[in-house]
Amino acid sequence: MSTAAVQNARKQAEALDIEDSIAFVRDEFNIPTKAQIASSRLADSHPAALQASEDDAKCIYLCGNSLGVQPKRTVTRLNQYLTTWATQGVQGHFKPLEESPLPTWLDADAKAAELIAPVVGANVSEVAVMQTLTANIHLLMSAFYRPDINGRHKIILENKAFPSDHFAVETQIRHHGLSTEKSMVLIESSSKDNIISTEEVLSVISAHADTTALLLLPGIQYYTGQLLDIPAITAFAHKHGIFVIWDLAHAVGNVPLYLHDWGVDAAAWCSYKYLNGGPGCIGGLFVHTNNSVVTKEITDEKPEEGYNNRLAGWWGNDKKTRFVMANKFHPVAGAAGFQLSNPSILDITSLSASLEIFQEAGGMEALRSKSLKLTNFLEATLGQMKEEDRAHFRIITPSKSEERGAQLSLMLSDGLLDTVMKELEARGVIVDERKPNVIRVAPAPLYNTFKDCVLFVEAFSAALEVAKQHAL
Amino acid sequence: MSDFASKAKVLRDGQKPEFPSNANTLEYAQSLDAQDKLRHFRDEFIIPTRASLKKKALDGIIPGAQTNGTITDADTPCIYFVGNSLGAQPKAVRRFLEAQLETWASIGVNGHFSSLSNSPLTSWQDMAADCAAKSAAIVGAADPSEVVIMNTLTVNLHFMLASFYRPTDKRHKIILEWRPFPSDWYAFQSQIEWHGLNPEKSMVEMQPDENLYLSTEKILATIDEHAEDAALLLLPGIQYYTGQLFDIPRITKYAQERGIVVGWDLAHCAGNVELQLHDWNVDFAVWCTYKYLNGGPGSMAGAFVHERHGKVDMSSGKPVFKPRLSGWYGADKSVRFNMDKEFQPTPGAQGFQVSNPSAIDLTSLAAALSVFNKTSMKDLRSKALVLTAYTEHLLDEIVRRQPEGEEPAFKIITPRDPLQRGTQLSLLLRDGLMDTVAAALEAHGVVCDKRKPNVIRVAPVPMYCRFEDVWKFIEIFEAAIRG
Repeated sequence: MSTAAVQNARKQAEALDIEDSIAFVRDEFNIPTKAQIASSRLADSHPAALQASEDDAKCIYLCGNSLGVQPKRTVTRLNQYLTTWATQGVQGHFKPLEESPLPTWLDADAKAAELIAPVVGANVSEVAVMQTLTANIHLLMSAFYRPDINGRHKIILENKAFPSDHFAVETQIRHHGLSTEKSMVLIESSSKDNIISTEEVLSVISAHADTTALLLLPGIQYYTGQLLDIPAITAFAHKHGIFVIWDLAHAVGNVPLYLHDWGVDAAAWCSYKYLNGGPGCIGGLFVHTNNSVVTKEITDEKPEEGYNNRLAGWWGNDKKTRFVMANKFHPVAGAAGFQLSNPSILDITSLSASLEIFQEAGGMEALRSKSLKLTNFLEATLGQMKEEDRAHFRIITPSKSEERGAQLSLMLSDGLLDTVMKELEARGVIVDERKPNVIRVAPAPLYNTFKDCVLFVEAFSAALEVAKQHAL
Repeated sequence: MSDFASKAKVLRDGQKPEFPSNANTLEYAQSLDAQDKLRHFRDEFIIPTRASLKKKALDGIIPGAQTNGTITDADTPCIYFVGNSLGAQPKAVRRFLEAQLETWASIGVNGHFSSLSNSPLTSWQDMAADCAAKSAAIVGAADPSEVVIMNTLTVNLHFMLASFYRPTDKRHKIILEWRPFPSDWYAFQSQIEWHGLNPEKSMVEMQPDENLYLSTEKILATIDEHAEDAALLLLPGIQYYTGQLFDIPRITKYAQERGIVVGWDLAHCAGNVELQLHDWNVDFAVWCTYKYLNGGPGSMAGAFVHERHGKVDMSSGKPVFKPRLSGWYGADKSVRFNMDKEFQPTPGAQGFQVSNPSAIDLTSLAAALSVFNKTSMKDLRSKALVLTAYTEHLLDEIVRRQPEGEEPAFKIITPRDPLQRGTQLSLLLRDGLMDTVAAALEAHGVVCDKRKPNVIRVAPVPMYCRFEDVWKFIEIFEAAIRG
């Protein structure tokens, strides 16, 4: 970047940061410092390692789309959890403690559901905090994908789905004795960057309408960062009698969702990206009220005909009768009926701590409002780079802000990626790479600043210079 | 040979050891504790105190952490006989958790592939395999590749069933016990239904006798009866209610010889009794880790898949498909991040993973397992055999001391044969005693598990319980009964 452009961008960033009404939320997070990023030792003194440091010392962490940053209060809550376990033992399941922010362990799942519901735009009864993303997709498919080779048996998904989704669909199809050749339909993108237009999706649906049982799509595509038109696609699929499951790994905590109002049938997500729950943290699922009704009592005739059958476990049973240890599964209505096991309290405590911050920041609309400005600013600042640098990358994420979330995916020219990543890290910038040529940059509204965006572009420019030299 | 050691030997021979006439004294109990070479493991745990159990609010005080002043009655550790439901917290957990939180805060996403020196933790991508390695000896796997740490027990059960319960027109039945832990029953019911079959036609429930004992003979007879139409046999290694330990190797062999796949729910076995899953040729098994393994409430579960089933046949260039519900994390580490659409599983049990697991959950479990790795299941079981035999002896004496003609205050419904039980004893109380007993136990700082209306489960786990605890429990329990 030219010196003038840098100065200009920095001034703009300063102004935008001052204007930012949720800037205060950044202090809720432990953002790694540059020194910590470079260290290979666990710091000898704790909690000195986690003490507040000058903002300048903090690294430029734009990787929240892969692993979110640690909320400070997570440390506090987990300590409280350890203390509860140590002092109460098994009583922790049912004995409430005064002035403890933690629910009893028996209530932890319900409390977590209350916290996640507004983030995804659902009624509390439509969400469950449980398991992991792919396990949840399997559990949902086992309930809602009941193919009939002479009727509806196909599953439509995108050609470049995150591999886990592809494997899940494939193995579900094969479980039923069907073949992927006949029952798996892949939506091919006509764009070289794999941007899937809504028209393309609808046209594939139309082509297989009568024989399709299920549609599985990502709310936001992991590679390109494209935000799909969830309500329009869902409505269209419904018109053709197709059940719709959304993989919201990159959407939850990133963009506002209104799963209930959009009539989404079911969805699943992980919690370690924009939800900042920690690596591999307990995930969640959504099941629309329409799909989780229980119309019979356990004492009625053929009670199993009163609910959607699903792979079941004791934790999905009605809480009132759960400890009766009777021999019949009868789910509680709602997403909670899809739970199987008592959850990891450690994990659910970590997630719940993080979700408190979403409330305090004003919810998803407030976050989105900042996110739009952040990502647009990032894009504009990238546009200020020198011509000869801009020639070596292009943004493959859609340019319309309603078609993307926080993330921008940058496709580099061949042979530059490794050096760029190395040079970025040396300058304290953490982003994510998708070999062979893509870096993903995701300024998260909860803890990133406009200044982060400028510093990234400066570092990126420098990194490109070095990479170009190496490539010569 | 010490008194303790000779008793352990007698018990391992399936015999009842003799206890002296002064067995019901504190001195005798303490003498057994003095001979217990595992007694120092108690220091590795935080046992709730009588005061902490009564706490109404968090106050930041950890039991045992204060060293100033005299220890009052309230500060004495409680008698925590409920490790069969939720194990006590290993001190290592806090240390490991702090390291993990610091790692996440310090290096963020880099923690997936880097570990920090002087940390007890591996990088996050290696944590599940590390916990599998730490679990291998506990379950008797020949190799860590037969073990996977993932998900929760019931979900693992479903994933195992999806691979190993493959009903045909002829073979479609599941043989199970009459009243398994409900989660298992619901899993069978829903799996059968998922295959489009009828649970009423495809479940064979084995009834216990009037003492709730399910004999091996009855199990083998049932296997014979269904040798042609059973696809799967799945039992708990230890029955949760009665504490009965089943003859895993014999039942496994008998069923497999008749073409039946055999799985075991080891929720109450893992960390409790010696297991040799590989040598016993068990097809698969699942367990949770928050009971005897002390991982914390709801901590990540485990599964075992025999080596025979874990091979990946690549002879044609592509892996031969085996029925399995898959996800990216079961893909071989060398190709997992290539984002290919061809699924190449990790050989062994770890190919059954679907998602990247919770690092913090694995951290807690790794800490808990690190204590087990300092000893052996053989030594733990030897101590448990003596502890439980001592408990049983003193309990029998309570009944013997009851006035002539009075109905026994309780009955031990756990098998008397030491080799047919683990640590736990289940006591069926006489009608009307439960509330009094429960109140007395609570008032005196004893924690046991209650199964309403009339059963209490008493589990003096070898890792952190003492003979002195048993003696004290008996004193309180007898007073409550007489009360």
